[in-house]
Amino acid sequence: MLSVTLPPDTLRADKDAARHGYACEAVTRRDGLRELCARLKDQGYFLECLTALDFSDAFELVYVFSRTESASRFLTKVVLPKPDASGPGVGDIFPAARWYEREVYDFFGIRFDPHPNLKRLILPETPRIHPLLKSFKGSAVGADAEEVLSAIHEDRAAFDLLNPRTPKNDADSYELNLGPQHPATHGVMRIIARITGERVLSTECTIGYGHRNHEKMAEIQDYRAFWPNLGRLDYVGAMAYNFTYAELIERAMGIEAPARAQTIRVLLTELNRIASHLLWLATFLLDLGAFTPYFYCFDDREKILDITELCTGERLTYNFFRFGGVAHDIPEKRIQNMISDFIPAFRQKLKDYRTLIGKNIIFRKRTQGIGVLSKETALAYGVTGPSLRASGVCRDDRRVTPYSIYPRLDFEIPVRSEGDSYARYLVRMDEMAQSLRIVEQIYRNLPPGEILLPKVPKTVPRGEYYFSTESARGSFGIYLASDGSPTPYRLKLRTPSFSNISAFSELGRECFIADLISIFGSFDAIVSEIDR
Amino acid sequence: MEVSPPDPGTQSPPVLPLELFRLEEAVDFCRSSSLWPLTFGLACCAIEMIGLGASRFDIERYGYGVFRASPRQADLMIVAGTVSRKMAPCIKTLYDQMAAPKYVVAYGGCAIAGGPFKFPGQYGILEGIDKIIPVNVYIPGCPPRPEALLAGLLKLRDLIRQGKADGRMSPAAIKDFSNRQNPVYKDAISRDAFRNAAA
Amino acid sequence: MIPVFLKTPWVSEALKAGFWGCFATGFVSANALFLVWLERKVSARIQRRRGPIIAGPEGIFQTVLDSVKLFTKELVLPRHGKTFLYLLAPLLVFAPIIVSFIVIPAGKNLIIRDLNIGFLLIFAMSSVSFFSLFLGGWSSHNKYSALGGIRSVAQNIAYEIPLLLSVMGVVLLTGSLRMTEIVSAQSRIWFVLVQPLAFGIFFCAMLGETNRAPFDLPEAESELVAGYLTEYSGMRFALFFLAEYTHVFLGSALASTLFLGGWQGPLLPGPAWFLIKTYSVVLVVMWVRWTFPRLRSDQLILFSWKVLIPLALLNLLVTALGATLFLQP
Repeated sequence: MLSVTLPPDTLRADKDAARHGYACEAVTRRDGLRELCARLKDQGYFLECLTALDFSDAFELVYVFSRTESASRFLTKVVLPKPDASGPGVGDIFPAARWYEREVYDFFGIRFDPHPNLKRLILPETPRIHPLLKSFKGSAVGADAEEVLSAIHEDRAAFDLLNPRTPKNDADSYELNLGPQHPATHGVMRIIARITGERVLSTECTIGYGHRNHEKMAEIQDYRAFWPNLGRLDYVGAMAYNFTYAELIERAMGIEAPARAQTIRVLLTELNRIASHLLWLATFLLDLGAFTPYFYCFDDREKILDITELCTGERLTYNFFRFGGVAHDIPEKRIQNMISDFIPAFRQKLKDYRTLIGKNIIFRKRTQGIGVLSKETALAYGVTGPSLRASGVCRDDRRVTPYSIYPRLDFEIPVRSEGDSYARYLVRMDEMAQSLRIVEQIYRNLPPGEILLPKVPKTVPRGEYYFSTESARGSFGIYLASDGSPTPYRLKLRTPSFSNISAFSELGRECFIADLISIFGSFDAIVSEIDR
Repeated sequence: MEVSPPDPGTQSPPVLPLELFRLEEAVDFCRSSSLWPLTFGLACCAIEMIGLGASRFDIERYGYGVFRASPRQADLMIVAGTVSRKMAPCIKTLYDQMAAPKYVVAYGGCAIAGGPFKFPGQYGILEGIDKIIPVNVYIPGCPPRPEALLAGLLKLRDLIRQGKADGRMSPAAIKDFSNRQNPVYKDAISRDAFRNAAA
Repeated sequence: MIPVFLKTPWVSEALKAGFWGCFATGFVSANALFLVWLERKVSARIQRRRGPIIAGPEGIFQTVLDSVKLFTKELVLPRHGKTFLYLLAPLLVFAPIIVSFIVIPAGKNLIIRDLNIGFLLIFAMSSVSFFSLFLGGWSSHNKYSALGGIRSVAQNIAYEIPLLLSVMGVVLLTGSLRMTEIVSAQSRIWFVLVQPLAFGIFFCAMLGETNRAPFDLPEAESELVAGYLTEYSGMRFALFFLAEYTHVFLGSALASTLFLGGWQGPLLPGPAWFLIKTYSVVLVVMWVRWTFPRLRSDQLILFSWKVLIPLALLNLLVTALGATLFLQP
């Protein structure tokens, strides 16, 4: 239960945690927020997510706070009456808020004060739109070739304005631009590093090159129509993202998927987690300059894809879960045969990887003591997932907010205390072994029965909901504000890489260029999940 | 004297009795057999593109596996993924930086026409890469399987060998599907109306 | 009947040089193409795939097709670059490596010029080649290129020293810099058995000298896009590429000459042994490349200064003592 004394004038309401995903919410005044944040920080809370709701008379800022080792989640709201939309900046208390505040400014036009660097984060500088405002009824850009070209020229002009051709180069340092097309950014992301010789002085990330309207799409389609987006949000570990949405909506509707569907979900999610970690291992070593592991990891990954493809029909962007179950039954016998072949083979492979990669002297020299993320920094930036667990915090949504059949399964949460790239590598390797353990426990005895509830409501009851599950990259949460209609009023995707990469500028300083690449790689960022 | 225009049906055969090959054909053959793609992925499709490079599909069999990170050395741009508005200028720059002859493959629904992220009034993505750069081969799917990309590359190979893809095509635009239903955008409601069903 | 003027020394010398120059260039280019193909096949074998198989038997013509394609590609000049140096750099990289082959004995009497300064020529030339990498990187007017060029200079300076020091042991035992004498000194026992430490150091330093992984920092694809050759397109890029492989071949040829007995061997003719030994070393170099991750720049330099150079000096000291005690009459 919440043990923080709230500032005066704060309205507090307790909620049904099982249904809404948070135990308590408080509506506080604009001036009281910073005080409340400071108290929450003392109590060990960290900022999980920050977003805004656009009403006709006011904006509401929604802050989601969470604790590391217990499930108590705490929502705080600040009401900003409409004409004067300016919020209190809490970036100095929770550094995680800096990017979130920029995002809110980007999408809603709400200004924050104080903020060190309040400019657009995801959208380009032109056109000056705030697309998640309800008054925004769509733009015409993109339909016509000439318009696109002129828009591109505008973008280029704006880009040149922001990034002058002759950047501030002085005798001692210069700016190096990595990306958006760079072999090490795994997608499209831009890292601007200030460098002297080979040493990096500071870095700044520019994101948004993979922005794909996900949150706006949620608002104009009904709940079911949003399923395909979740598969494309994080295309490497898509199952866990589907899982969050399924759990969130099912909890909100008050329904529960049948046991067989739950087991299939967990089975596929854990297989998908292994596949995702394998892809991370491959690309991480590619960043370090080792090519061959990529081929071996992809070989193993293809075997997992074979299994999931047989179950779902898709290799990558899964769209298999439904409200109240899964889309169709899986061919049990064949899957069991495939998995029983896969498990011992992959266990041997894991051992090989640990020997060939983990014991390689160059690999250890390149990762041990590099990119040390302290526990405090990690929490301040809201880092979750393996990156957080490598910093000594044992926080896994599968344990913190038990969902589905996870409470009944026997698995461990690997934790390391070093916080360096090597620890992140070890945590992910251990997680693969643990996921394999989970798969081993459930694939033989799938409970018989239905896989899909016959009747599912079409709408979600009025109210706000937040739920998060553990994806391969960290805690993926969805904040849903429902007005009772068939489409969501606001759906905010709290993606783990967004917070993880916001901490990158802390690590990407006082290191070498090569370290910059390897540290970035060790965070396992999927860019279109950051940009949404 | 009046000269009648040559009848296309009765054009004279080549003067040389023995035409083994023309230089252009030989060069086209070499170009088509060694397409080096740019290391460049945008979104989901990029994973399948990487998968094509891996052992199971092994694009290197055809000599297309030399992924070059610098656009100067690449021949082929595989636009794999959604092109956002913010990214579009960068892609145009990359294409301009590539040395001719250069070929473009639009891989996946997003690169072809915006894919699942296209809806009337969308603000963030470019609806088809062919609006800004010329495309040689389109590969539909979301995402297409690696085999589909391989088939697309072999199609491109054949096109080059037949002289139908010279690597410097003029920009072309595809027809937009304008018969789609307009989405219903919500109006902002007041906070009371949101919280209380009665209001 | 040979015309008289051909017998004048300088004309015959020029003709000879022309002939051997053409031969060396032809052999070196063909060999480099073969090595690129070999690398692709070897990497494919290590990575559980097949590599090029479509173009010719086992894809042997793949690199030929690649090079024709590169020949016919557009050549892009960087707008703000130093154009003359930019154009000069690929030639300056390739030429010195070919020159180095002058003093490599490929068989008994099969040597273009048996100079008494022997491998000093090779080291001098390989430095020229290295500085032209820097030239290329710097004249491209690109930060990645410049960084790659700077790295190549730092690396060259660091790895030239252990390379020379490790070979000094061999020179002490032979008492000559002449390549033929070094080879004939190994008629009883290869120097790799007498000087195993020196061979190890030589091999490491040779990897560093030839920019091969795990020391491929000037090119470092995941960091610097393509390093010093980021801006190069078409045939100029191909020249850099071929130069790299020729450099590897040169290093391997040097290793087999200095440490593995050169062209000497039973049954087979000298050139065959020379090629067998050289290609074996080349294969090991490729094997190393596809096995290890890349070092970081500071680790690379420190590895040379703190590990290789002290070891090479120690080796030299021990060799000198041994030579003084046992070899002197």
